[in-house]
Amino acid sequence: MGRITLERVQKKFGDVEVIPPLDLTIEDGEFVVFVGPSGCGKSTLLRLIAGLEDVSGGEIRIDGTAATDLPPAKRGLAMVFQSYALYPHMSVRKNIAFPLKMAGMDEEERRRRVDRAAEVLNLTDYLDRRPGQLSGGQRQRVAIGRAIVREPAAFLFDEPLSNLDAALRVGMRLEISELHERLKTTMIYVTHDQVEAMTMADKIVVLRAGNIEQVGSPIDLYRRPRNLFVAGFIGSPKMNIVGGDLASRHDAAHIGVRPEHLDIVEDGGTFSGKVTVSEHLGSDTFFHVAVPGLDEPMTVRAGGEVGLRHGDTIHLAPQSHQIHRFDDNGLRIA
Amino acid sequence: MATQHSRAAARFMIAPSVILLLAWMLIPLGMTLWFSFLRYNLLMPGANPFVGFENYAYFLSDPTFITSLINTLLLVGGVLIITVVGGIGLAVLLDQPMWGTGIVRIMVISPFFVMPTVSALVWKNMFMNPVNGLFAYVAEVLGVPAFDFLTQAPLASIIGIVSWQWLPFATLILLTAMQSLDSEQLEAAEMDGASALSRFWYIKLPHLARAITVVVLIQTIFLLSIFAEILVTTNGGPGVASTNLTYLVYAESLLRFDVGTGSAGGVVAIILANIVAIFLMRMIGKNLDA
Ligand SMILES: Nc1ncnc2c1ncn2[C@@H]1O[C@H](COP(=O)(O)OP(=O)(O)O)[C@@H](O)[C@H]1O
Ligand SMILES: [Mg+2]
Repeated sequence: MGRITLERVQKKFGDVEVIPPLDLTIEDGEFVVFVGPSGCGKSTLLRLIAGLEDVSGGEIRIDGTAATDLPPAKRGLAMVFQSYALYPHMSVRKNIAFPLKMAGMDEEERRRRVDRAAEVLNLTDYLDRRPGQLSGGQRQRVAIGRAIVREPAAFLFDEPLSNLDAALRVGMRLEISELHERLKTTMIYVTHDQVEAMTMADKIVVLRAGNIEQVGSPIDLYRRPRNLFVAGFIGSPKMNIVGGDLASRHDAAHIGVRPEHLDIVEDGGTFSGKVTVSEHLGSDTFFHVAVPGLDEPMTVRAGGEVGLRHGDTIHLAPQSHQIHRFDDNGLRIA
Repeated sequence: MATQHSRAAARFMIAPSVILLLAWMLIPLGMTLWFSFLRYNLLMPGANPFVGFENYAYFLSDPTFITSLINTLLLVGGVLIITVVGGIGLAVLLDQPMWGTGIVRIMVISPFFVMPTVSALVWKNMFMNPVNGLFAYVAEVLGVPAFDFLTQAPLASIIGIVSWQWLPFATLILLTAMQSLDSEQLEAAEMDGASALSRFWYIKLPHLARAITVVVLIQTIFLLSIFAEILVTTNGGPGVASTNLTYLVYAESLLRFDVGTGSAGGVVAIILANIVAIFLMRMIGKNLDA
């Protein structure tokens, strides 16, 4: 079991309120991702749940029981740190067995559990090595191994993939998702990378300056961002946001169109401009288009075979039912 | 770029300092070796004939030699144990966030700035003196007879004085090492259910291993040649109860004016220091490998 509820949870460092009072429920077995720009309080929120920081107000409940004043070890949660935080002088086996040893488990049972975790994580050949002799991806797996042997009520991950190179990151992302499928344990995962959030989450919590901007499934957030911030943050490349006359035509202060919802047309269209940069990814091509009258270039996605060059003139037409409308305060209209 | 040419130039340019350093070390060492093979007593001027290993035989067969060897090892070992254990304890305490840490740290480090002779004299006259000393006063208040430290436990007293001087050094090095410990490791251990004691034993202490090795090696070098503290407190006595090798060499060459035997003793001390160094490196040197 691992149902975690936060009620009016608040955190201040001195006079600085990093997390204004916030409510959130994380259901048992859910994979929840906290996503937001750097410094928005994701780690702080995770550490509050872990018990590594004391709340300045509010209640944390784990499976219905009050956990606000429990020390970290008593909350039944396991955490994977950004730096992995492996114990450098212990072998991989001892690292993974450490929480079991601290729980007073006997040697035999410890060995069995470590062996099983090592098998799941492909670490069997490395059990006698020190963390310093492992690659980044292997260290990451040891850190995960140390978390899973305890059979916690929930896993907490703080940007676990940010120290890995791009290829490994994709691999580990899949491994963590698979692990979740297999264990069905609650996982809370912190990242600033919206791609990780979109691909892994059952539920995404978008944070800005400690405030929850929106909570929902990845597809919800993609289809119906609640405000301009979420609209700009979720989706890659970013949604094109346009204000002024063009927006008023749609009875809105701002309108947003994702790059993939802009069609390149022969003539006419809503926006016309010159291609500044084209990024060819093979399967897709992204064109950055300087449209007269707009501050920022627009981005449009086209097929991989579309061969426009720098300086070519291009006409764009948004797909009519894919236009997001926002009011003066940046909130979504309808 | 280190081309062949620039490397030759570099060698040429550092040559003067290398030669100076070599001469600085080799000339005194060579002279000591040479004197150790001569019959050379300042009270008997005249010819200084070459006598082979006579001085060595004389020095090594002296019963004082064995006593002073044991005293040397006890002194080094005792101070090492006290400073390392005490240093770890103080480092743990000073690592805690508390009010006035800055001042406390400076105070802890200050004994290191006091000259050995001065601190030994302060201890001798103001603390350990059986009549006027602070300890004698405390004994009087408690109604027990005063203890004459330097007479009844001379070596232990010197170990105490030297430990007081070196504790700051150990504390400083260990505190720095302690502060370099990644706080996430401690947090991970906390989440893993480790108590404060377990965190100390399984995380902090192993992290300090390298620093402890450095402290032990550096202190050993200096402690093998402790001299001033003995000279100003006990003069090696009573009898030879607090004579270490360094002091014995001094006694031979400058109290008995026997330069030959003194030099032989110096060479023996060098050999002993090397034996201790090899022994230490074998024992704990692996901690220094990254
Ligand atoms: N121990 C602390 N003392 C003071 N301020 C802190 C502390 N930890 C974090 N903060 C501040 O809280 C804010 C959120 O930090 P953090 O949760 O680490 O952000 P994120 O993980 O989203 O990048 C930052 O502005 C940071 O400076
Ligand atoms: Mg963070």
